[in-house]
Amino acid sequence: MSNEMARMKFYCDDHRCIECFACSVACAEAHELPTGISRRKVITLHDGVEGKEVSTSIACMHCTDAPCEQVCPVDCFYIREDGIVLHDKDKCIGCGYCLYACPFGAPQFPRDGAFGHKGAMDKCTMCAGGPLETNSEKERHLYGQNRIAEGKVPMCAAVCSTNALLVGDAESVSNIYRKRVAGRGQRS
Amino acid sequence: MRKYIYLIIGALCLASAVYANESQIWGEMRIQNILGYGQEESWKLGPLFTMLQSQYFAWIFLGVLLGVPAVFFMHYKIVGPKVFPHSEKKYYAFNLYNRIIHQVAAVSFLVIVPTGFIIVFGDFFGGGTLVRMAKNLHGIFTIPFTIVVIPMALMWLKEALFNLDDVKWFLILGGYLSKEKQIIHASQFNAGQKMWYWVAILGGITMIFSGAFMFFLDFKMEMLHNLTGMSQIDLLRAAAILHNVMGFAVVALFITHVYMSMFAIKGAVHSIITGYVEEEEVKFLHNKWYKKLKDQGKF
Repeated sequence: MSNEMARMKFYCDDHRCIECFACSVACAEAHELPTGISRRKVITLHDGVEGKEVSTSIACMHCTDAPCEQVCPVDCFYIREDGIVLHDKDKCIGCGYCLYACPFGAPQFPRDGAFGHKGAMDKCTMCAGGPLETNSEKERHLYGQNRIAEGKVPMCAAVCSTNALLVGDAESVSNIYRKRVAGRGQRS
Repeated sequence: MRKYIYLIIGALCLASAVYANESQIWGEMRIQNILGYGQEESWKLGPLFTMLQSQYFAWIFLGVLLGVPAVFFMHYKIVGPKVFPHSEKKYYAFNLYNRIIHQVAAVSFLVIVPTGFIIVFGDFFGGGTLVRMAKNLHGIFTIPFTIVVIPMALMWLKEALFNLDDVKWFLILGGYLSKEKQIIHASQFNAGQKMWYWVAILGGITMIFSGAFMFFLDFKMEMLHNLTGMSQIDLLRAAAILHNVMGFAVVALFITHVYMSMFAIKGAVHSIITGYVEEEEVKFLHNKWYKKLKDQGKF
């Protein structure tokens, strides 16, 4: 055990992901996301090619050196002590810079105004809400459920039927994955 | 002209239609977009944009915003403005059409430039409603500029082509470094004005397109995809970098343009308001044009 604060991470084990879309559906339902916004997405590569097909689930990866946080012109991002990357929707102007900086295409933009201009950015919060009062009505409305504050696992990982989607502090996640890889007799 | 407007409207409709169906960013192309971030063979525009935006852009804009006016303030204090009598004969150089086109562009710039700065220094303003409004105005006032940019390009194109006199103009910087009134051998537009013409027109069009890319996100440009082989997100990154870099040039020359017309040549701004240029101004600063007008008996 290191005495440093744990950093929360997602990891999707592509050997286990069966492309059931439960994570993205559960996420959208739990946070009552509008259509067109998908905080979590399941991606399949080489669809139908035997032996090569691989699926994985992608959302905000809560980067340690989050590039979104570095480029935001209004500084609306903040990284919690536990490593969860969150942002303030009341500050966000919907410029899109975080999307250009993001390696994972995580930031999403609702088209809610006239002429289809971009509204405040929306992304995975690792079910940890936002800067508003925890579990307040406004927080739920803007950021969705705050399951972390209630001691629950993020929705996507909670519903993953094959336990492909892992979430927790980086060390525990890598321990679980290492055990799995050893069990499968793989090298990496 | 009409074709141009159709092109813009068509592109806008296409952009929203595409968005409604399948996004190139979050849909099929997502993996391709991700791979483009840091792979060896990719352009690495993701890390490049992140580095430039987080460390340089705002500082360079601050440098331009403070530095350019500072230089002109020194110029005003040390060299001083050029004052020409405004009671002499005048020549009607800019007709109503010229002035309306110019004024529409002027008003657009007067909104676009300050709102751009509010966005760049968004953290200073604390984000939220004010900066969001600035962002929306920044986009809305692009529309009038888009409408006039081509007519403006066409109406001054002939006068804005560079020639050998411009080299001489640059060598003495148009005589603006000396207190004396020198006879400058320039036609209707001098080299400085020509430079501003090209930055405003070509830079302006670049700003319109890169801005439209960022505004609509899913702006579909098959031609650009095929030409560059870049994914949508990389095109967006390139647009953001281009928009900022071009912004430095446009803003620097915009400030110069305002300083020249309002301060450096006292009262020069009236020529674009009333359409009349002063004989003395033309005689000294645009001597070639003056001779031509004189031959035609305009003065």
